[in-house]
Amino acid sequence: MSGFESVVGVNFWTALFTFLNMVITFLLLKKFLFKPVKKMIDDRQAEIDRMYEEAESAKQDALSAEAEYAQKLKDAKQEASRILSQAQQDATAKGDEIIRDARQEASRLKEKAQEDIRLEQKKAVNQMKDEISGMAVAIAAKVAEKEIRQEDHEALIEKFIEELGDKA
Amino acid sequence: MIQVTGPKIHFVIPIFGGIPITQTAIASFVVMLILCISGFFLGRNLKKRPSRLQVVTEKLVSMIYGLVEETMGKHNSHWTPYIATLFLSSILGSLIGMTGFLRSTTADLSTVIVWALMTSFLVWGNTIRYQGLKAWLKGYINPLNIVSDIAQPVSMAFRHFGNIMGGGVLTSLMYSALAAGSTALLGAIASSPLLVSMAIILLGGYLLIRGVKKKKLLPKIFGIALAAIGLFALLERFGVVSGIPILSLGLPAVLSLYFDLFSGFVQALVFSLLTMVYVGIACPPKESTLKEK
Repeated sequence: MSGFESVVGVNFWTALFTFLNMVITFLLLKKFLFKPVKKMIDDRQAEIDRMYEEAESAKQDALSAEAEYAQKLKDAKQEASRILSQAQQDATAKGDEIIRDARQEASRLKEKAQEDIRLEQKKAVNQMKDEISGMAVAIAAKVAEKEIRQEDHEALIEKFIEELGDKA
Repeated sequence: MIQVTGPKIHFVIPIFGGIPITQTAIASFVVMLILCISGFFLGRNLKKRPSRLQVVTEKLVSMIYGLVEETMGKHNSHWTPYIATLFLSSILGSLIGMTGFLRSTTADLSTVIVWALMTSFLVWGNTIRYQGLKAWLKGYINPLNIVSDIAQPVSMAFRHFGNIMGGGVLTSLMYSALAAGSTALLGAIASSPLLVSMAIILLGGYLLIRGVKKKKLLPKIFGIALAAIGLFALLERFGVVSGIPILSLGLPAVLSLYFDLFSGFVQALVFSLLTMVYVGIACPPKESTLKEK
């Protein structure tokens, strides 16, 4: 049997088939198309987000490391200049000390030399006194032709020379 | 004479008092097969680095998701597969009529009334789920709401059905009108002196040559049409052929762009949009009135 449905009419069986077809199509499309595709899109989105986050944090790390190194470099430069100036100061102080020591040594040596000179002078004078007294005794002995006790004469002459020396 | 009929009944399965298998049932089955098979193949072998086909698939899927989320709100994103099924079934059901040997499923009230009723039941079911049975029944204290709830699926179904059916009727009217027109035209030319058909052929040839030389489309088309009309009139005059519907060539294609492609698309969109709006109203965002399931 074949014929035509009415134009505006509802066939129960066609409606039932349509409903079943809709449900099947819906379930299959949902399971095989929409869920996997949506999941894939979401996964990719998540991955992209994560990559951007990582890149961002890596950038932050790099920036902070750069700042750290810049700070360290600055510190090192300051340290170097500090050491340099310290060394200069030390050297200056050392030089000053050496010069002062040298001066002290020089003055000490000078004083010692003067002392020596004075001692030598004194010694020479004493020697001269001895010689002069000996000579005087000899001369006096010769003159007086008599024996005079040397000790008495020496005392006498010493006195004489002392007067002489004071005068000189 | 044109006869406007419903879907043809191909055969009847002799159980349950006879199940008639109509053109709509077969077309609906074909639509389901096409959708399921293409959906299965498009959803297969998805990769993080997509192929071209996957890019297109993802674009379309995310477009539908975007549309649903825009219309129903982000919290109703899980409705997308249903809305998409509705939209795709509708548009493919309308377009399948263009194949010529299958009838548009949407030009049968049986199909669209089911879709409209599914929308209505989703609305009612979700109203009960979100607000409770009491609140749903309370809504009908105002009897106008009963009228509106009956009118809603009926209007949705008839809008869709009427547009597609009307398009089909208009198209077949157009064909028969053009056939009658061309018969009249060819007859008139054939019964006039021989010189007329010769002149028309020459004019057509001239236009065609000019169109080819100047590389313009319109003179070419008119040239071919005129030459063909003249030629067929000449053939009819000598009794070789008769009653060729020459005017049916070309013009219905332009009309079909509107009545089949555009109308099918718009009706699918309207139907899905209305479903989204109605169901979206029945499923408000979580923070407002969702009851614990």
